[in-house]
Amino acid sequence: MNDLSRPRRPHGPGAYALVVGVSLVLGGLAGAASAFFDDQPGPVGTAMTAALVTAAMAVGFTACVWWWRGIDEAAREAHKWAWWWGGSGGMAVGSVVLLTLMLRAEEQPLPAGLGSAPADIFVSGMMAILLFQLAGYTLAWAGWWLKHR
Amino acid sequence: MNNRLKVLRAERNWSQADLADQLGVSRQTVNALETGRYDPSLPLAFRIAKVFGQPIESIFTED
Repeated sequence: MNDLSRPRRPHGPGAYALVVGVSLVLGGLAGAASAFFDDQPGPVGTAMTAALVTAAMAVGFTACVWWWRGIDEAAREAHKWAWWWGGSGGMAVGSVVLLTLMLRAEEQPLPAGLGSAPADIFVSGMMAILLFQLAGYTLAWAGWWLKHR
Repeated sequence: MNNRLKVLRAERNWSQADLADQLGVSRQTVNALETGRYDPSLPLAFRIAKVFGQPIESIFTED
């Protein structure tokens, strides 16, 4: 059980913004590095890309752990609830988009933005899942706090 | 679960932010606790009891 000494102030929106900012910068650096190394011939480029993306993910995950350990229990509960209901619900909706795109009849036309090759259409469907998950998570998180005001 | 947090805080002329600082939680969490819409974990309940100098069962009661 936690000790009962005077606790420190929990992380606020500033810490959240910091973690999001760090993640965005890391993602940008990893993306730029992978674009550079993907052009290199042989397996070295692929290995470098994998190493850099792994390092970026590790740093980003560490930042998330720091943030998670600094928020209070109600904030954690809100995020856990949002992850399960919002994220899972969003994934279900996005999966409908993905499966509809992938299982449609080949002659069925698609908007140009979704791509024409099967791999591109699959990526569009996966992006739909991600976007619906983000939207669901945000709505569920806001709903939790509204319900517990 | 019902609780007397709001009454106990008012008796001491503490704001929600004052109590939040002493508990190590956000003001929003104190508000959620006071309205009875969020039940604290056991460690937080013990911390609340210590801050107010009262046993847990005198602060929290069943519905």
